[in-house]
Amino acid sequence: MFDKYMVPTRGFQNVRENGDIVGFQMLLRITYYRGIHLSLIGSLDVTVDGEHFKPEQLRFSLGDRTYTMDELGKEENVHWPFGQPAKLIVLKPGGLQPGIHDVQVEQRIVPAYMPQGMGFPGNMRRKITLVA
Amino acid sequence: MAKNQCKRGVTLYSYQEEYYTGAMTLEDCVAEVASMGAEGVEVIAEEMVPNYPDPPESWVKQWHGLMAKYHTKPACLDTFVDLSQGGHRNMTLPEAVETLATQFKLAKRMGFPAVRPSLGRDQLDPIAIVEKALPEAERTNVKIALELHAPTSLTSKGKGSRMQYIDRYMELLSKTKATHFGFTPDMGIFARRLPRVMLNYYLRHGAHEKTVQYIDTAFQNGANTDEIAAEVAKMNPNGQDQRCAAVASGYGWRGNDPKELQQIMPYIYNIHGKFYEMTEELTEYSIPYEEVVPVLMAGGYDGYINSEYEGQRWTQDATETDSCEEIRRHHVMLKRILGV
Repeated sequence: MFDKYMVPTRGFQNVRENGDIVGFQMLLRITYYRGIHLSLIGSLDVTVDGEHFKPEQLRFSLGDRTYTMDELGKEENVHWPFGQPAKLIVLKPGGLQPGIHDVQVEQRIVPAYMPQGMGFPGNMRRKITLVA
Repeated sequence: MAKNQCKRGVTLYSYQEEYYTGAMTLEDCVAEVASMGAEGVEVIAEEMVPNYPDPPESWVKQWHGLMAKYHTKPACLDTFVDLSQGGHRNMTLPEAVETLATQFKLAKRMGFPAVRPSLGRDQLDPIAIVEKALPEAERTNVKIALELHAPTSLTSKGKGSRMQYIDRYMELLSKTKATHFGFTPDMGIFARRLPRVMLNYYLRHGAHEKTVQYIDTAFQNGANTDEIAAEVAKMNPNGQDQRCAAVASGYGWRGNDPKELQQIMPYIYNIHGKFYEMTEELTEYSIPYEEVVPVLMAGGYDGYINSEYEGQRWTQDATETDSCEEIRRHHVMLKRILGV
């Protein structure tokens, strides 16, 4: 649900650290009907221009804190408000070139009431243009 | 015939898409409810309450201001006890009870007489959780209105690995004579057929017509949904076929008889008027409202029937959602059946 709303374009840009481009980022909204504690994020999958990124290459950022995928599972008291964009950072030296990119993101939220292995999937594939 | 005492309301979950995109604010949602002459407002706490579970006092004041301005009343607060923490760690019983206590506190601040907690899927025994939470529910005077949600069988007749039953809750009620434990029956449990908006979603995304037809027919025949999935597995299914079969197991049980609500009538604290698609004839495509609502009326139910629109997830990829219009149709239907 809410697949088409998952990635607002305004956050799509490269990420710099000490002057070097270490990757790129995008804003991410939840594909579920309520906000959740971060531990309920089952999985996040990113493929850009055919390149699939491993979980170790992803970072999730909310407010002033940034988490690895493993760390998310332990955050039972940090609440991701419904509809509020978090930041999804993808570590890729050099980042992305300005221009049109094919971006695919799958998000899976795992509330306790769904059967094992089901969860709430959100799937978005669209072109987003990186400006500068 | 006894005078109708059922009251109309809406769970703001119904406006989820408009709220998510910012097309509607919380006030807009409450105003929409009031514009239909409906009184009850139900809210999913983690959807609309800022800084959950502890909103600023200024916001709570605003909330009460909205209720007063629009002459609406807080009907029920929907909460979740995420027992499996996303599959990472199961909550302990004391943690689950503590979570509920926090939710009673929030309900009290917002003026809700009841909460509808979701208690996972048997990661912990829900009976044990409710029993331990009852003293706090009584102390704060917040009723626990556990949802009877699809797939639920009101008798022992419905079968399937996902099927939920009410017998243990009835035992608990009989044993404790609890004044603060009861139910929120979700009318989706009376679905006679699968929502066609759901089936069409999977067809649109590549499910095979023959497979979807089979799932549709099998459900209407009251088939065990495990058997439906097993049959589909033999039909050379693609991913969409499999997902459709899996999702189908979350509806009904098709064999529930609305009259079976009579056995639990004194314990019904809230009703979710679930619907997936209102037709142009102002009926619900899957759920026989004309059969269910009269049972509530005859039983003297004097709580809210809170409309719960849940079709948007199946149509939003293809068409513009208009939740307000769907809810309006639902209320015209409710008014017709209630005779008001």
